[in-house]
Parts: sequence; C-alpha cells; structure tokens
Amino acid sequence: MALTLSPFAPWPGWKYLPRDARDTLFLLGVIAWTVLPHVPHLPAWCSLLTLVVLLWRAKLALSNAALPGRWVLVGVLLLAAGLTYYSYRTLLGKEPGVTMAVVLMALKTLELRARRDAFVVFFLGFFLVLTHFLYSQTLLVAGAMLVAVWGLLTALVLAHMPVGQPSLRIASSLAMRTALLGAPVMVLLFLLFPRIGPLWGVPQDGISSTGLSNSMRMGSVAEVATDDSIALRVRFDGPVPPPEAMYFRGPVLSNFDGREWRGAPGRLDAPRLPENLRVRGEPVRYEMTLEPLRLSTLPLLEASATAPVIEGYRITPREDMRWVADRPLLERLRFNAEAYPAFAQGPTQRNLRLIGQLELPPGYNPRTLEWAAALRRDPRYANADARALAQALLQYIRTGGFSYTLAPGSYDDNNGRDAIDQFWLDRRAGFCEHFAAAFVVVMRALDVPARVVTGYQGTDPIPIDGYYIVRQSSAHAWAEYWQPGVGWVRADPTAAVAPERISRTRRLQASPGLVAGTIASFSPELLAQIRGSWEAVNNRWNQWVLNYSRGQQLDVLKSLGVRSPSWEDLALLLISALSTLALAGAAWAWWDRHRIDPWVRQMDRMRAALRRLDIAAAPHDAPRALAARVRERYGPPGESLAVLLDALERQRYSRANIPRPDTALTRRFVWLARRLPLQPRSIAPG
Amino acid sequence: MTSGTLPHDVVAKPRFSLAGFVRARFRRWLQSRLPRTDTLLLTQGNVYILPTRAGLMFGLTLLVLLIASINYQLNLGYVLTFLLAGSGAVSMHLTHATLRGLTLHLKPLAPVFAGEPAILNVVLTSPGSARFGIGLKISGTADSTLGWFDVPAGGQAQAQLSFVPEARGVHELPALGAETRFPLGLFRTWAVWRPAAELLVYPKPERPPAPLPAARPVPGGPTQLRSAAGGEVEGVRGYRRGDPMKLVAWKKAAKALESGGELVSRDTSASAHQELWLDWQACATLAPEERLSRLTAWVLAADRAGADYGLRLSELTIEPADGEAQRRRCLEALALWK
Repeated sequence: MALTLSPFAPWPGWKYLPRDARDTLFLLGVIAWTVLPHVPHLPAWCSLLTLVVLLWRAKLALSNAALPGRWVLVGVLLLAAGLTYYSYRTLLGKEPGVTMAVVLMALKTLELRARRDAFVVFFLGFFLVLTHFLYSQTLLVAGAMLVAVWGLLTALVLAHMPVGQPSLRIASSLAMRTALLGAPVMVLLFLLFPRIGPLWGVPQDGISSTGLSNSMRMGSVAEVATDDSIALRVRFDGPVPPPEAMYFRGPVLSNFDGREWRGAPGRLDAPRLPENLRVRGEPVRYEMTLEPLRLSTLPLLEASATAPVIEGYRITPREDMRWVADRPLLERLRFNAEAYPAFAQGPTQRNLRLIGQLELPPGYNPRTLEWAAALRRDPRYANADARALAQALLQYIRTGGFSYTLAPGSYDDNNGRDAIDQFWLDRRAGFCEHFAAAFVVVMRALDVPARVVTGYQGTDPIPIDGYYIVRQSSAHAWAEYWQPGVGWVRADPTAAVAPERISRTRRLQASPGLVAGTIASFSPELLAQIRGSWEAVNNRWNQWVLNYSRGQQLDVLKSLGVRSPSWEDLALLLISALSTLALAGAAWAWWDRHRIDPWVRQMDRMRAALRRLDIAAAPHDAPRALAARVRERYGPPGESLAVLLDALERQRYSRANIPRPDTALTRRFVWLARRLPLQPRSIAPG
Repeated sequence: MTSGTLPHDVVAKPRFSLAGFVRARFRRWLQSRLPRTDTLLLTQGNVYILPTRAGLMFGLTLLVLLIASINYQLNLGYVLTFLLAGSGAVSMHLTHATLRGLTLHLKPLAPVFAGEPAILNVVLTSPGSARFGIGLKISGTADSTLGWFDVPAGGQAQAQLSFVPEARGVHELPALGAETRFPLGLFRTWAVWRPAAELLVYPKPERPPAPLPAARPVPGGPTQLRSAAGGEVEGVRGYRRGDPMKLVAWKKAAKALESGGELVSRDTSASAHQELWLDWQACATLAPEERLSRLTAWVLAADRAGADYGLRLSELTIEPADGEAQRRRCLEALALWK
C-alpha cells in the first residue's frame, strides 16, 4: 500500500475547517477512541494498519481529496484477511473476529460516501464497543465506552443536521439529551429483562488466559489468585457441602524437577477408576457451569465416581482420580455430576507406581532434606506412620511462625535450588503452592509417597440465584500422601496457617502496586481512603451491574411485593411497564392533539372576564386595545386591570421569547375583574 | 433565519407499474383528505412517522448486540444494548417532535410564465425549542430535491421552493412535503401540506419573439417616426422629471453623463398617438396555444417599448393603454383565455 503522508497543511483551527472535514475528523477521532482499548489484544499489524488508514482518511478530509477506489479497499481488505489468518490460523472466533471488525471499521471510513455508509460505520462502532466487554467489564472500560457511545451518537446527530455548520457542542448536547432521556428505558430493561443462559455454546477461546495449568512453578498460582473472573458455578440439588469440603480436583502434579511440578505421564496399564475409588454414603448431586479453562481436566468436586455426561466430549477417569476430556475445554459447559464427600482412593498396598511419587531431584533443598532426616531421628517419629508424620508437619506449620501472603517475594535466588529451604526454614511466608510443594517435598524426604493436587477450593460465600460461584482467585494447591491400607489422603497445609482461606473462603488480596505504594509512602490514610471508596464503588459496580443476574432480578420482584417471583412474573412486569409507558405516550399524544395554545387559553380566560364587565373583546383585539377600553369605561378603578393588560402586551410582543404565559397574571386578572363592580354603560365617561 | 432555494427536479414519466399506480392512487386519496390551507399547524393528526431503512438496520444491530450479550453473559453488553434501545425510542419521539408544533405559512405568490420556475416562499415558525434538519420539497419529487432548514427557538425560518408550471392558467399548488430524520436518522417523520393559494401562470412567451405588428396612427394625430420593424423607438430627448426609469435610454445616458450632459429618455411622446393592436387574428396561422405565446411575447415587447397597446382576443378586447396595470391585465387575459 503506497501512502504519501506528506506533512499536513497548517492547521486552520477547528472552527475554520470546512464542515465535511470537521465532521469526518470528529468521526475518525471517535473511531480511534473506540479502537484504542483493543490495541493490547490486537496484532501489531492491525493497530498499525488502522492507524495508517485513519491518518490517511484524515489527510484526505483535510485536503478535500477524492476517496480511493473500491479496488484499493478490496485489496487492503484481502491483505488484512490474509494477515489475520497468518496471525491466528483461522478467521473464525473472537480474536480474529475483533481484528477483522477493527480493520473493516477503519476501511469503511475510506468509503464514506452515502448516508448508508455512515450508518454502517456507526453500527460497526456499537459492535466494537460491545467486543470490549468480552475482555473487561471494569468501571474504567465502561467509562471509556460510554464516551465512545456518546461520540458515536454525536456523530450520528451531526449527520442529521444538514444546515450550516452546527457546533460540536450543540450536537453533543443533543446526543447526550437523547441518551439521558433514554436512560429510564435502559434502567427498566436492564432491571427486568429476563436473564437467560447462553442460547448456544459459544467458543470462548482466550477469554481467560489465566487459570489452572498442567504445571506449577513458584509464583504461578499468585497470578490466578488475583484474577476475580469466574471459573465455574455450582448449584447443588439438596444439602450444600461445607466450604472446607469443597475441593474441585484439577491437575495432579507428581513429577518434581526441583523447579517445576508436572503431571505424571499417562500410563495405559494404570488401574482406572472406579476400582481405584471406594466411596461411602450418599452422593451430593450438583449442576456445574464451567467456564472455558483450556484444560482437559474437569475440575469436579471430590470425589466423583461416574463420568458426567457432556455432549461432544468423551470423559474418562485417570489413575490419580481426575476426570479428563478427550480434548481441551474451550467453551462454556453445563452438566450434572455427583460427588461422594466420603471416599478413599488409590491402592491400599504399596506398589511400584508409588515409587515415582517419592522421587526428589538430587542437589535441591539440602537443608530441608536434613530437617526431614532430623525429624525421622526424633524418637517420637522413628516408627510413625504417614498420618502421624503429616500431623507433625502440619503442627510445624501451625506453630513455626508461618504466614500466609500472596506477595511472598521471589524464592528464585540460587536458581531456585534452595527455594523450599528458604520457605520451610527461613522466610516462612507464602501461599498455597509454597505450602503444598514444601509439604510434599518433606513427606517424600520422609519416605512417604506424596503429590501436589491443584484445583479450586471453596466458593463465594453467598450463592447468587442458587449458584455458588468459584472464581479463578479460588485456585488452590494442596497435597496428598499415601498411607498403607488407606490409599491417598488429602492434606491441606495451607489450612494449617490460614484456616479462613479454606473454611470461609475469603478472597485473597493482592499486594499493592506501584502507584498505591507511592501514595502510601506519604499518606497512608489517603491511600486507605482512596482504596476504601474505590473498593466501595467497585463493589457496587460488581454487585449491581456485573453480577446482576436472575437472582437479583427475583429479589427486586420480592421487594416489589411478589410472593414467589418467577421468570414469567419478570417478563409480565417488563411487558406491563413498557405498555404503561407506551400508553402514557399515547395519552399524552391525544392530550397534545387537543390542547390549545396556552397563550390562546390565557386570552380566552381574560376575555371571558372582560365580557362579564360588559367590555367587548373580540379574538383579534390586542391586549393594548382592551386596556384602552377598560380605562375608557372604568377609569381609575379599572386601572389595575388595564395595567395587567399592558403587561401582557409587553410579554407577547417582547423581543425575548417567552415560551409560556404567566399564569399568576391570569389569576390576578380574573380575581381583580370579579371584584370590580360592574359599571353601567350609560355612566361611562365619553 | 435560514433560507435556500431548491432546484427543480423534472420528474420523468414513470413506466406503468401496478405498485406505482397503487401508490399514486393512495397518495392522491390521502392528499384529497387534506384540507387546503395557507397556514398549516403540524399536530399529532397530520404528522406521520415510520422507521427508516437505517432504523430497521439499527434494530437488527440491537438484536445482534442482545444475542451477543446473552450468549457471553455480558451485563455491560445488556447496558449498551438497552442504552441504545432507549435512545432509539427517544429519538422516535424527538423526530416526531421536530415537526409537531411547527407552523408552515405560505407567503402570497407572484404570477409566473409557464416554463419558468415559480418561487414559493414558505415561513417555518417554531413556538418552542429550536428545530434542526427540516427538509422541504414538492411532494412526489425525488429526495435529492429536499432543501434543509433549521428553525431557531421561538423564531422563524424562510424557505424557498420552486416548481415549474408547464401550462398557463390558474393552478392549484402541488402538495408540499416536510420531513425530518433528526436526530438519529432511525425514523422519518413527514407531513403533507396542500396550500390553498392558487398560482396564476401566464402563457409561455414565444422565443425568439416575432416582430411586433405595425402600429397604426390614430386618425388625426401627427405622423410619427417609427421604425418599420416596430418595437424599437428611435427618438430621444432630455430627461424630464417623472419619466419612468424604463424610458431612460441608459446607453446614451451613460455617454451623455460622461461628457457632462444629462440623462436621456426615449422620446415616446409621439407613440402616444400611435395605437398598437395585438390581435388574435394577426397570428391566425398558429395553433391556439402558440398564438397565446406570441401575443404574450408581443405584450412584453410592447410594454418594454413603452408603447400604448391593446389586446384583441376572440371574445375580449382590452383598449390600448400602457404601464404595469395594462401589462398585467393583458397577461391575465391571455393566461385565462379559454
């Protein structure tokens, strides 16, 4: 694409631009603003292409040059499609879709000839605004997009003011007025439009790039723990298990190379569930809506004895009690499953496969190994079984001055060769993955087979619409050790130091960032205040806008006095509210059609009053003429009436446009006219 | 105040189509329901509104946004969709309100010649707030002939429309259309106005005009110097107070003024005693309408020449005279000749 971006002509000033150029520049600005937040998600070529096209269009507008021919556009579009395919290896899906929408939007500005083209730009713009919400729905994004919508509406209004050079201020205030007048309808629809589930499964690739993974490195879970997006929702049929029992089992990591934990390679000869799982009691039945995790492992509640039925996927069990789909879960899924809270798993007899769960990389964490050996030498634990050893470790964590923090700092000194040493013996601060990893390392050092299990633990404390929400911030890592005769036993060392993390499932707070740190250094109170109000606003935002769902809708109905609100009540209320609005509009229209000009009505009343005083008052008589008649007939007693008529005359014919008559004047006039004694015609002077 | 002139778009005779026929019939029926008036107050009763194609597209966009919001469970998507829906609904009201309450008034019309554009001066009055983007056109013409006007709050806007009457006579004015898509273009609201005023259309003057017939001297009057071709008066004299402007021989006067002289008038004193009869019978070889065209051209030429002229039609005779009143009388007679 050969572009000659010669330096722009000297800027004539916004006011002195030709109308067309100004409107086009404004629209280009709005488009740039709308696209800008997408830049981090777009491939570099797309941002660059958009920038170049917008600048080119601006130059054409300023120089009033002809737009390029259609073939140029088709060429650029094909090029963009090719680049999109090159970037994503597909043209379908969210990311390529957004990329193509941005390119289309930019190219369409080069084709702004007819009104129809302008409308295509506007509608593409509204669509682009929506695509931002796929990435983020924070207050900041909402504010930026509100500005974008305002800009688009302003451009739309401007396109329908064909006369002269209307100022942007007028157009934008008209657009704002339109939107503000429409706000009540928006609020009504938002509150009452029935929230229904997805109409069909949409590919949700890339929505959540953080989450569980098949490996664990120190620090990786911290990213997840600060991500408040939803991982899954669970609704229980029947009693809800206590929070401390809600372990959603994800990838099991048993191979440790000193730096990184990985899952064991699958073995075909491994015993399969359910013969490896022994359950007791009644199962808990639940429905799970799973956001796309980009993993094959289904994070099912422990312990599932049967595979949930999910259309399009084949779910099979693994030796480590995971349920794995035949391909990664890239879309939102909803399925029913059941879990047995009371269970035992794994081999009861020591076998060869357990040996793999004892391996520790040589040369790593020597002091921890020494600490373990010292524990073994302790006569109390010389012959202790796995359970006793696990209790000892948990006791050590409870009493050893450990603290729970999401920002423990790096354990990467010395290439991570003594990361566990530092954690277990020196700094003693970390979060679940540190505790779980250290626990497993020490157990293995004590010759007890052990492994790390990752997944989600706990839910939001309050269910919404019957759904317990599990967020990415609930991602967790815990440990399992093997005990002869029992099998694998869960141990959650994090619970030993931060039990509330497990039982109340408090959301974890991330460490303060750079800006917050700077503010905190000179005014901690200010920071606390800012953070407090920001959190309050954000909380309201989350509660009232982002998490507003069917549950809240039904609550609104309850607060309106509906006993047992249902989906149908909601629809009924919405329809009746909208019909009431429409009927009110129709009634107003009817009234407006039959109403009389208020000025005419005022004159009618005043003329009627004058006729009672036996003064001729025809419709064409000006107030001034009537005043003269009153003075002539009534003299000084009628002066006050005449003065009012003169005042009315001034109002009617004043330069300043008075939209409505002065009703006080009318009332006073009628009142005075009633009190004036009727003057017989014969006595009238002159 | 704003004003503008509309180009007239010649409406090509459409090929016959059933839909077009039905639509034309419907329009005629609709218009026949409208009382003719020179001042029209636009109310709920005579302002119509329908969504535009862009409006329907907007609805489709809203549907797509709504489905996307449902499928991706985007509450902000709902907010956006409903905000746009609310704005669209409000824009319907605002579009209607742009015309509602507006008063259209037609100023008195000046007669025109057939084939020349007739100018309709329309005053738009807004009693309330400012109104933007009101388009006016002759009903039934293409949208490209719309002229756009803004009406200030509580004020007036002057609009000019033009159409070309094809035939002489007294014409009813064509229906006028006022429309607007302001503010968002999602709805089009329009009103049809049939002004009561009638337009007098003079016959189309013949072009190039045939030479005037020869004037006959009035018996008893002094003989005159007149060009044989007629029409051009040759004698000039000094300007006398009271000479009409059109008698001033401007070219000669300019020269005279340059050399320090005075204004010069054409000497028509002689022609006062000449009678120029513009006679229906004088152009017997022509078809009736062409005769009227020729007579019209003659009336104009004789009036320009400042001559006394009379007009003889088959059943009507206008005695010779000159001046604006004579011109008008003659042209009206020609316009209304049956």
